[in-house]
Formats: sequence, structure tokens, C-alpha cells
Amino acid sequence: MDELELLKKDWQKQGDKFPKLSHSELYGMLLKKSSSIVKWIFIISLLEFVFWTILSISLKGTESMARFDAYGADAIFIGLSVVSYIILGYFFYRFYMNYKNISATDDVRSLMKNILRTRKTVKQYVGFNLIFLFISTFTILGIQFNKDEQMLSVIEQASANGELFKFYATTILATLLVLGIAIGLILLLYYLIYGILLKRLNKNYNELKKLEV
Amino acid sequence: MNKELEHSFVELLEKHQNIVHKVCRLYTNNQDAHNDLFQEITIQLWKAYPKFRGDAKFSTWMYRVGLNTAITLYRKSKRRISTQDYEDVQFKIKAEEYDDTEEQQLKLLYKAVHQLNDIEKALVFLYLEDKNYKEISETLGISEVNARVKMNRVKTKLKTILNP
Repeated sequence: MDELELLKKDWQKQGDKFPKLSHSELYGMLLKKSSSIVKWIFIISLLEFVFWTILSISLKGTESMARFDAYGADAIFIGLSVVSYIILGYFFYRFYMNYKNISATDDVRSLMKNILRTRKTVKQYVGFNLIFLFISTFTILGIQFNKDEQMLSVIEQASANGELFKFYATTILATLLVLGIAIGLILLLYYLIYGILLKRLNKNYNELKKLEV
Repeated sequence: MNKELEHSFVELLEKHQNIVHKVCRLYTNNQDAHNDLFQEITIQLWKAYPKFRGDAKFSTWMYRVGLNTAITLYRKSKRRISTQDYEDVQFKIKAEEYDDTEEQQLKLLYKAVHQLNDIEKALVFLYLEDKNYKEISETLGISEVNARVKMNRVKTKLKTILNP
């Protein structure tokens, strides 16, 4: 007999072997909390929003920010803030729509697709934040080169010593290095969190995708 | 959620709970993991229940949510209390049907099925549940032809595992 047929015959009898859970036992389960992957992605995404928002708010109160006020470059700072809030709003909307579309009653492939779409949004959001971090840092550096009194006196001195190029190059490279390390660490953290969380899902999705070729 | 909805849901679940047990049987190796997955499937079923429309059979709908949870949504718990594996405790065939060779073969078959990947297990599960290829393809979201092709590959793979 075909192996699977033999298994099927036994499988049909499996029903008697399982414990019968009572109405109250099943009812109790409804009150328990889910630990699904969607819930975890959602929690992590929310933490990300909170993290980046707190970061930008806390920077606003610092001493160095007070120094920026003296630069008279409000238009640039306001412009950057407006752009960041518009994009933040857009991502909130995308997140909400993504989660709304995840349904356990979809077919397996669509469900996986929808979850991975959520992941893609998270990726884009992280990408946006990192690019924004990069742009903001260099915008601020540019303003400092032109308006910061301390910086201007250092530039003047460097210029007098004939080391102007060296000064610019060192400052820009040092900033790039610090920024690079920070971005690298953030990416590594994301890679680890989502890599672990989505390992099985990615594997299964690829398995299904392979079938369509 | 109102009480009436809860009541009707639990009643249906009580009646069809074997489907959930069977999904757990295939996707887990011991009783603790079985219970964890059963719990998660129940929660997912309950969350999706308000969207359940009577036009589909409750059992068909359960297959879908159950497999989705096992393959996609469920995060395996880190908690691993070592309990006896299924392989050692199951397969108690009634005395009148007792057949040593058949029992051995079944034991090996279950072990082989457990070695399949999650998608292959889903195919086997639906096959064992006597679902036709149309239902299998709709549940997994693949074409009927691909479901057939994959099923044949799974059969071959099982044969290879059993007769290396």
C-alpha cells in the first residue's frame, strides 16, 4: 500500500486519541494573550516610533540646540522638522493600513505577503530615519561652518596656518566616521531583531514562492 | 465582544477541536509545544471569528486559520520543558488491529513527516484530511497544478526518508 494511504488510515483514527477540552477550558483560552509574530512586529515598530520621536524631542532641549538658535537658521530647522513630521505621518498611515490588512483568514501565501509588506514598511521607515540623520547632521555641520562663532575662529586660525583644507577634511571625515559607526550599529540591531523574528516566515515564504516558478 | 458571540464560538470550537489538535500534532513534537500552539490557534480563531461568515464551513475556515497560525503567525515559545516526545507515547493501536510491522511502519512514517518542512507538512496535513487539490491550493494560495506537483514531490521525499 502507498505509504501515505497507510498514514491516512491511521490519521483518521487520531481523533479518539486527543484529550477533549471542555467548554470552560476553551473559554479560558480566549482570555489569554497572543504571542503571534504580528504582535511582536507591531510592538517593535511602536518602540521604533517612540525611540525616534523621543530622540528628536530630547535633542530640542539640549544646550547645543540652544546654540543653534543663535545661528538664525530657523527656516532650515523648521523646514527639516516639517518634512520629518509629514513623512512620519505617512509612515503611521502605512503602518496602520498594513496591520489592518493582516488577516489569519487569508490563504497562507497572502498572509505571508502581507506580513512581509509590513516588514518592508519598517525597513523603509528605518531607511528614512537614517538618511534623515545623515542629511540633518551635514546640514548642521554646514551651518556651523558658516555661523558658529567658535567654529569661525577655529577656521580663521586654520586658514592663517594654511591648513584650511586639512581642517575641513578632518572635520568631515570624523563626522562621517561617527555617523557611519552609529548607522552601522543601528542596522546591525535591526538585522538581528528582524532576522531572528522573521527567519521562519522568510523560509516558508521562499518555499511557497519556489513552487510558482 | 458580546457573550452570545463568545458562547457560539466556544461551542463550535468544542465540536471541531480535533482539527486544532491535529494541526498541533503535526507541527509540534511534545505535549507542551502542542498546548502552546493549541492556545495560539484558539486566540487567532477567536480574533478572526467576527469576520467569519456562515457561507464557509466552520471546519474549512478552521483549517485555514490553524495552518496560518502554525506556519506563519506562531512564535515558538522559548520555554522548553522536556516532556516525552510523541514518537514514544503515541501509536497505541487497538488490540484487534495490532500488527507489529504496520505499527513500526507508522512510527517511521510519522517520524518522516516530522522531518518535512512547514509547507510540505501543510500539504500532507490537508491530504490526510482528505481535502481535494482545489481546497489545498486555495488554502495555501498556490495554483492547483503546483499543489499536485509539490504533493508528488513530497511523496517521493517521504519515500527517500523511509528508504535511504
